[in-house]
Amino acid sequence: MPLFKKKLSFEGGGLVLFMDVHDAMQAEKILKGADYAVKLVAPPPELRRGCDLALEINLVEQPGIERLLKEKESGYVSVNPIKPGTSGILEIVKVTDFGDWTMVKAANMKLSFEKKSGIIVNTSGGGCPDIPYLHAEMIGKRLDQAPRPRDLGFTLCALMLDRALDESLALWRGGSKK
Amino acid sequence: MILIVGTIPSKDLPLTIGKAILDGDSLLVNAHRIPCTQGTAAMISAALQTTEYLKIESLEVLLVGDTGKGNGSRQMYEYLSENIARLSPQVLALHYCLPDMALTRRLCEAVKKCAKRPFMIADAASMYAAKAAGLAQEFDIFTPDATEMAFLADREATHPAYIARHLFDTDVKQTPKLVATAYQHKNAARLLLVKGATDYIVRNGEILATVSEPDVPTLEPIGGTGDTITGMVSAFVYAGLEPHEAAIIAARANRTAGELAQATPATRVWQIIQQFPAVFKENLCQWSEVCITR
Repeated sequence: MPLFKKKLSFEGGGLVLFMDVHDAMQAEKILKGADYAVKLVAPPPELRRGCDLALEINLVEQPGIERLLKEKESGYVSVNPIKPGTSGILEIVKVTDFGDWTMVKAANMKLSFEKKSGIIVNTSGGGCPDIPYLHAEMIGKRLDQAPRPRDLGFTLCALMLDRALDESLALWRGGSKK
Repeated sequence: MILIVGTIPSKDLPLTIGKAILDGDSLLVNAHRIPCTQGTAAMISAALQTTEYLKIESLEVLLVGDTGKGNGSRQMYEYLSENIARLSPQVLALHYCLPDMALTRRLCEAVKKCAKRPFMIADAASMYAAKAAGLAQEFDIFTPDATEMAFLADREATHPAYIARHLFDTDVKQTPKLVATAYQHKNAARLLLVKGATDYIVRNGEILATVSEPDVPTLEPIGGTGDTITGMVSAFVYAGLEPHEAAIIAARANRTAGELAQATPATRVWQIIQQFPAVFKENLCQWSEVCITR
């Protein structure tokens, strides 16, 4: 067993932007206290919104981090990918009709429900660790009674599954006689 | 041995390494019972069905509970980096985890210290991290689905949620174009098995084969049916098949199992996995010339 662990270099991929330095430092404290790997950095010029201090995060953890910052009422402006050419989060969904079932796809995540009952029969896609957990929690529940991935999940995969749930709810309510 | 590494959706499962046993619709690993559902458990179950059919016993797993916070994933990758040279698997298959570019980089460095380099397979978030960190070429096989293929083709994206809209909108017929772009930017493993309405098997940018029969579109909504393909590929590679042959047979077997199970969007992945022994018995000899005498 080594006495000293080599400190890992941190490669986050995401930036949390703030209006002032104080907010950035407060957010760092909150996130480090919750075991998130974060680093205070200067944002690139094209992402400067106010102060010159931002917080580098693992972009995949964006939903869990945003939820925690909101819970702690930490002021932040936005979360952005670091790479300047990166697109924004995908907003579009695709819908596939399987007869008695509908499948809604948001980015890499898919949610399928029975048209008549609104029961979630499957979720598929993704690769982050909250996805199999959400799969187990959501299957067998009605769309409007299922837990929200944005509440239980922590990753971008969960955020995309939440988008698929939103669209599924809209489709089901639009198609139901309620 | 084959070493399959990934997270399990449990709040309690500690870092666990050992042999996995199929027990009904669950896995048993060091007395931990793990339901065979979407994710690493489905991948292991499919690999076990394959190794058991082929009478191979050298399958071990490195698992940890993680429901999304990432603590388990980090522990798992750190353990693997520190121990990979000692474990020295012949096939290393990386699966569900919280993607972490720095830890993936560290693992790839540690792999270089193995007496013999393992055959490296990545799927799910392990593949996302490898691509995001610019390490795709350190891997022998990636098994993306159609959207993940668009992610590999998007030079800047570090997660499929951030792929460019025009790539997400792309029709599945455009897969060859996405494949070419991914290889151009060095964001693809040596071999790709792109899972979709048509499965593409690609080596170093050259499409070697496509698989589209039997056509079972209801496999796509079933959580875990991509994981099963990766599990079978890992086992077939370990058994000695050429990687592209392993990929072609896994793609065919998955589709055939879906057909046998009469899959609907409400089918569970375990119902597909149960079909694999019958699929192998009926077809494997003909597909691969691997003929098991029983």
